[in-house]
Parts: sequence; C-alpha cells; structure tokens
Amino acid sequence: MSIVVADTPRTAPPPPEPVAPARNYLNETSGFWSWLLTVDHKRIGILYLVSITLFFVVGGIAAGLVRTNLLTPNGAILTEDQYNKAFTAHGVVMLFLFLIPSIPAVFGNFLVPIMIGAKDLAFPKLNLASWYVFMIGAAFMVWGLLSGGIDTGWTLYPPYSSRYSHASVTPGVFGVFITGFSSIMTGLNIMVTVHKMRAPGMTWGRLPLFIWAMYATSFIQLLGTPVVAITLVLLMVERVAGVGIFDPAIGGDPVLYQHLFWFYSHPAVYIMIVPGMGVVSEVLTCFSRKNIFGYKAVAWSSVGIAVVGFLVWAHHMFVAGISYYSALLFSFLTMLVAVPSAIKVFNWVATLYRGSITFQAPMMYTLAFLVLFTVGGVTGLFLATMGTDIHLHDTYFVVAHFHFVMVGGMVLAYLAGIHFWWPKMTGRMYSDFWSRTSATVIFVGFFLTFVPQFILGYHGMPRRYPNYPEEFQVYNVLSTAGASILGVGYLMPAVYLTLSLFFGPKAQANPWSATGLEWQVPSPPTVFNFEYLPVTVCGPYEYAIGVDQLGRGLPEPPGSGDDNPAAKVGPTLLPGPLPKETEVVG
Amino acid sequence: MNGDRGPLPAIAERASVMADAFEPLFWYITFWTAAGFLLVCALLAWCCVAYRRKPGQISTPRILGSHRLELFWTVTPLLIFLTFYVWGVYVYDKAVHPPADAPEVFVIGKQWMWKAQYPNGQRVIIGGNPKNMTEEDRQNIGALVLPLNRPVKVTFISEDVIHDFGVPAFRQKIDVIPGRYVSTWYQPTKLGEFHVFCDQYCGAWHSLMVGKITVVPADEFDKFLEGKGGLQGSPNPVDGSLAHRGWQHFQRLQCQSCHMPNAGAGTKVHPRAPSLEGVFGRQVPLRGGGTVTADEQYIRDSIVNPRKHVVEGWEPIMPGNYGSQVTEDELAEVVAYIKWLRPGTQLAPNDRAVPPDGAPRVTPPPPVSTGGKQ
Repeated sequence: MSIVVADTPRTAPPPPEPVAPARNYLNETSGFWSWLLTVDHKRIGILYLVSITLFFVVGGIAAGLVRTNLLTPNGAILTEDQYNKAFTAHGVVMLFLFLIPSIPAVFGNFLVPIMIGAKDLAFPKLNLASWYVFMIGAAFMVWGLLSGGIDTGWTLYPPYSSRYSHASVTPGVFGVFITGFSSIMTGLNIMVTVHKMRAPGMTWGRLPLFIWAMYATSFIQLLGTPVVAITLVLLMVERVAGVGIFDPAIGGDPVLYQHLFWFYSHPAVYIMIVPGMGVVSEVLTCFSRKNIFGYKAVAWSSVGIAVVGFLVWAHHMFVAGISYYSALLFSFLTMLVAVPSAIKVFNWVATLYRGSITFQAPMMYTLAFLVLFTVGGVTGLFLATMGTDIHLHDTYFVVAHFHFVMVGGMVLAYLAGIHFWWPKMTGRMYSDFWSRTSATVIFVGFFLTFVPQFILGYHGMPRRYPNYPEEFQVYNVLSTAGASILGVGYLMPAVYLTLSLFFGPKAQANPWSATGLEWQVPSPPTVFNFEYLPVTVCGPYEYAIGVDQLGRGLPEPPGSGDDNPAAKVGPTLLPGPLPKETEVVG
Repeated sequence: MNGDRGPLPAIAERASVMADAFEPLFWYITFWTAAGFLLVCALLAWCCVAYRRKPGQISTPRILGSHRLELFWTVTPLLIFLTFYVWGVYVYDKAVHPPADAPEVFVIGKQWMWKAQYPNGQRVIIGGNPKNMTEEDRQNIGALVLPLNRPVKVTFISEDVIHDFGVPAFRQKIDVIPGRYVSTWYQPTKLGEFHVFCDQYCGAWHSLMVGKITVVPADEFDKFLEGKGGLQGSPNPVDGSLAHRGWQHFQRLQCQSCHMPNAGAGTKVHPRAPSLEGVFGRQVPLRGGGTVTADEQYIRDSIVNPRKHVVEGWEPIMPGNYGSQVTEDELAEVVAYIKWLRPGTQLAPNDRAVPPDGAPRVTPPPPVSTGGKQ
C-alpha cells in the first residue's frame, strides 16, 4: 500500500480580505415583494430555508407527540386514531416537506451557481416557480393534515389508502403530487446549470464533490419523481373515481402499487442522503486541511449510488408476496448498492489521515454524521439480507435504521452544511461554544433515542403501534428520554443562529480558509456573485498546497493557535507554476 | 411469552426451527458489522487525536488517494456482504418452502382480527380488537394452536386491506394480501404462548390486531383437532368441531333449562336435573343402589331413554321423546359436546350464546371509520 506523499509548502499569498461591499444580495432591494418575486438563486435558497425550517418544526412536534404517547403500553396521551394521524403527519412532513427539499433546494440553490462560478442557475424563473409549486403542494398537505388528518402512514399503501381510509387522504396525496414537480424543477435546473454554466477551467474533474453529489441527486429527481407522480395519480383515480387499479376487490393489484411507489421512494432516500455526502466531503477536507482521498472514487460512488439505487426497490417487499427469484435478485443488487457507501466512509476516514484537524461546529456535525451514518449503513445489511429481513421487516429495527440514515446522516449533514455556510449566507458568525455543544447534545440524544429501537425491533415490536406489550416499555421510555435530549439539541441552533443574525460578529469572506469558489466572494455575496469572471486553475481541495480554486493562497485557518507567534509567520511564497495534479498519486 | 413480563432477554425467545436458523445469521451479520463500525470509529478517533491541529503547524501532505487501498476496501466489504447474501438466501429459501407433507391451516385477516380454520373445519379467532367483532366472534377469541416439533403449513388471505402475520418468537413474517393466497410454515420447538402481531399498517386499530399462538404437544394437538379440550383458549367448544355442533343442538333443544351449570349450595338456582359438567367418565350413583360409568353409551341412553338410568337424588321427569327429535348423527354430536363439557364451561341458561346454525346472525357492526380509544 504505497501512498505517495509530498510535503509541499504553501505557494501563494492569500488574497487581501475583500472590502465588504455596501450592497449584497440581502440588502440590494428590500420589501416583501422583493423577496417573493426574486429570481436570485440565493434569495430563493433562503425562502426554502425558512419554509423547510417551519416544516421541520411541524414534523418535530408530531414526532414529539408520537414519542410521548409511546411512554405507556396503551398510549399515554393520544387515541389510536390520533396516534395514526400523528405518525403519518411526522412521516409525510419530514420526508416530502423537509428531507427531500432540504439540501438540494437550500444549499443546491444557494451554492451550486457560486461553486461553479456562475451568476445564477440556468433557469432563474423556473427556480422561483419551483418554490411556489412547493408551497402550493405544502398548502394542500397542510390542508389534508388540518381537515381531519391523514392516517395511512407516509407509504400510503392501497387498498387501505384508496378505499378504506376515511381520513383526508386526497388533499394530502395531491399535495405530495404537486411538491414532486418542485423537486423535478430543482433537479432539472441544477443538472442544466452544472452542464452548461461552469466557469472557465471548472472541468468535471475540478468540480467540488458537493456539485457531483447534487448532480447525482438531480439525476434521481428527474428520473424518479415522475414515477411517483403517476403512481399517486393512479391512487387518486382509484380513491376518487373507484376505478380498480390497486384494490383486488375491484380488479386491481395492491402489490403493483408497492413496486411503483418504491421505484421512486427507494431512490428518494438517496435524494435525501447523497447531497449530505457532498456536504461531508466539503467540510472534512476543509477542517483537516487535506485533499479528499480518492476524488474520483467519491465522485463516482455518488453516481453509482444514483444508478444502482434505481435497481433495488423490491428489497422493501421481501415478505410482500413477490416471487422467490425476484427476491433473490433484489437482495443481491442491494448488497451492491451498499458498496459505494462503504467506499465513501473509508475514503473520508482516510482523508483525515495526517491532516491538521480542528473541531469547529461544522466538523463536529460531520464527525457525528460519520459515526451515525456508518451505523445506519451497516444495519441496512440486516434488512438487505433476506433471511434476517423476514423477521426484522416492519419492526422498529427498520424505524431505527431509517432514522440513523435520514436523521443521523442527512439531518446532521444538513446541520453541518448550515454551520459551514452560515457565514456565507448571512455574513454573520455564530457562537462557537454553543454550536459545538449542540452538536454534542444532538449526537448523544440521537444515540439514546434510536439504539433502544434496534433492540425493540430485534424483539419484534412492530412499527406504527400505539399499543404494545408491557415488556417493551423500558426501551420505549429510554427512546423517549433520548428524543427529549434530541429536541433540546435542535432548539439550541435555532436560538444561537437566530441571535447571530443580530449580534453575531461580521464574517470574513473566507472564515474557514476554504478553497471553494463560494469562499472567494464576499460574505454575504453580491447579487451576481462574482465581480469578475472566475478562472479555475486547480481542483477543489488543494489544502496541502494552500491554494484556492483560483490559484490564490488561503488565509490563516481558524483554530491554528493564534497565540503562538510561530503560527503568525506568513506562508512562504514560491514562484512558479502550480504542481501538476497528477504529480502525486497512489 | 409464558406470562413472563420481565425484562427482555439478550437473545430474543426462540420457538421454531426458523428462529434457530435466524439467530446464527443475525449474529454473524452483527459480528461483521460491529467489527466494521468499531474499526471506523477507532480510525476516526485515532485520526482526531493524533492529527489534531498543533500550534504553529498546519502543513499537511498532499495525498490524493491510492487505487490499491480503494480496491481493497471495495472488494473486501463486497465479499463479506456476499456471504450475508448467500446465507440469507439459504434461510429465506427454508422459510418460504413448506414441507410437502405438512397439514394446512388457513388464516384469514380482516380489519381488525385474525381467524384460523383447521383442516377438519374447526374455526378459531386468533385475536384482534374485540370492539369490532360480533358477539359470536368475541366468544371464540382464542389462540392459534400449533403442535410441537411438527411442521404446519399456513395459508393466508385478507378480506380487506393488506395485513401482515408476524410471529417474533418464530422470526417469521408474511404480508397477508387481499385477493391472493400466500403461504408459509411453522415448526414450533417450544411449548408456550407467543405473540402474533399485525406488522403491516391496516388502519385505526392496527395495534390491536394482535393475537396468540399456543404451542402444545403433538398428541394434545390431535385431540384438539377432534374438538376436545379448551386448548384454543376460549371457554367454548372449538367452532366447527363435533362438540361445537353438539353444543348448538344442546341449546336448540333447551337442555340447559334443566341441566344448568353447577349451581352449588346456597344459591337460589334450583336445577331440575343434574349438571352435566364433567360428567363424562365419572361413576354415577343410581337410584336403588349401584353405579354406572358415564361413557358414550350411558349418555346416549340417557337422552333417548331417560328412565333407563335414574340418577340418585333426582326425579325421572325428563321427557322421553328427545330420541325422536334428533337424528343419530346429531346425537353423536350432542354426546361429543357432553364429553367436552368440563366444570365451569357451560353457559347459564340466559347467557348470550352462539346462535345455532341457520339462525339469523347478529349483523356485524359497520366498520368504524375514525378510531377512538378502544
């Protein structure tokens, strides 16, 4: 195992701190309509950020109701019907209104153009339309939730959802259908932007890995979402018009729905997690001052997940009456899709090797991601293996696995992204102490919430059960205790990030001393991002050489011992061209 | 779980051959995944400590990757995953292919109850939410009785939405789909009672669509199939058995208005005829001295010709015409019921009882759309 290593001194001086421009995207125009009619990708990102934060609170309250109710074996506070509506509200809101738009719509919109050196996305008006479509769909869903609630679970399996449920399924399903178009618009926009609007020198091999992740995500959004849209239309046709599609009593096939639904919804979990992987690659390299280990492997594993992810949907159906041989095939393909995730984890760990690591909040969240995502990933293997899935299917083991990936993985990556790019988005710094504390609290609370659920699932406690046998109570109480800690952990960023908007110190253009193009523009950026045409001269993670993607030196990174006079010695300037990227390979 | 409601054991209760097949695979995967997880954690912790930023020193090497290392950690996990796959296929293959000679039980799921039908027509409610059931079904709530160490094939279908029949102690689970028969099989290895859960969300009382499996020795299971014993857990004879049909004749002929359940001394009930609970097999004292063993013949004689044996302490007031009101077939069923009657199992004359075959049934309550507290 030879790793060729070059101890390269810094080669270029850092650029002078740009004078913060008087006008930036936040104060260029003001007023209500300047936000609601904006076509600025950054403002639309902020609109999404505010909207999905609101929905996260709604989904979080529903989760709180569910966990509180599970404190006692016969339901502490809710009736069965209220409980069913609460867990459905949690699932529907968190998945369709928070997780799917979270990183693609917030950071994708805000960052993709800046990171590739463009002024905006390819279709700014389509971008604004996507937010309106999202909000209209969300309004339908909220209507469904308020006008009687939805009691089908987020998976909406017929014939229960189509012919038996008396709840407000139709507006809810219609809302999900509509938000799907918002997802397609965002995906299309990002895909076209990455193809057509890269700045000079920003070759595919120099794209930040976040862009690769967003590109793979857009691919899934474009190909997958239409399938779930037509599936939901069929569901509504059966529910509203009584046409037999899924209910065998009127000539339909209920398993057909599951195939169609999971054909989208399994890739959809990769819509949720792959962007998070992109964030992790950005943060890890920056806070360890290292090149990513195996750029191509990490980039192509995102694409690999996107492609193979489309071929594994029936692993949700091993006990659902599919044929023996298709179960054999889908289990095998699922084993294959686990490999790219494993590659990523090992490459990330290898990136830290011989780094110079500091532990600001984005890094704390990212390390928590690595640990929790690994648990989420390996527990997926129990469910991909047919012999164990036959017992663990539809138990709390699945619930815990899913939350480890989606919350431990995606939400923590989202929070890492928020903390990483907050200075860029708002121009303000937040409290270092409180942000690190919140990462710790969330990590501990998360573990306590979901590890007991693995034990419950192994012992067979089914999901979606407000009533359960008494022997399961201890672990449910532990889980609810953990959820309380987790809730406190979520409240902390809400407070200190809000406070930072008013009292936080002004952020520099490049507070983390990062290499990406987004850090080479002022914080917050101006409306058109760049005052000049950025010419990219090297790959995204040249921390070892100490140059950004424009070939300029990096400022002193934070946490490098400012009290130590030795650290204040400026970087050495070496004349000459940059070393070739192919100079050092394994 | 044998009434034991203590803390959960480290290894969940195993009660079938599938559970024995599941556990080694489960712990095999746990071993490798835990090893992988701990390896990642150890490497992370080591990097975070060993390579934390030291004052005045931020120069790092420019490492771009290593194809060999990447190949290593691509191929190694894949090979390990494939062992999970192969072993998993082996276990799954066993689970979905019942032995050819296994007797078959039908289980029907509906909102929100499980019903079982045995090969000879017996019918038992395995469990569910009593609020959704007819009076008849409520009285038949029992358990799915299975024989120890003998395979039983179970075929499922649903009357309405998708349910799932999950038995954690057997480590098995199968979606119960409307309009389609699906099958699995169980071979219990442990006596006792085990949970049945509906694992596929099915509406308001999904969490009450639970039931019990009772595993009994094989010979008791055979007796159960003959309708003897209250193994299924309900106080009534097993629906569909000889005894169950005899019970219906017993009520139709109003036998219970004289042969009341054991009244006991000091109560105001004054039965006109001896109680029949537990009479089978006993020595019955006869008027004028002597005893007779209450066997099938004695019971049949006492129905068609009540004056043949008059029990000590009772007047011979029973009408002699019952023999002409029942056929010989039906007589055999009544005898089976009286054989079945154990102390405390006969209903009082005015208790609500199962209507006889052919009588108008109680219409089931309409499906309740919005749930409430049960």
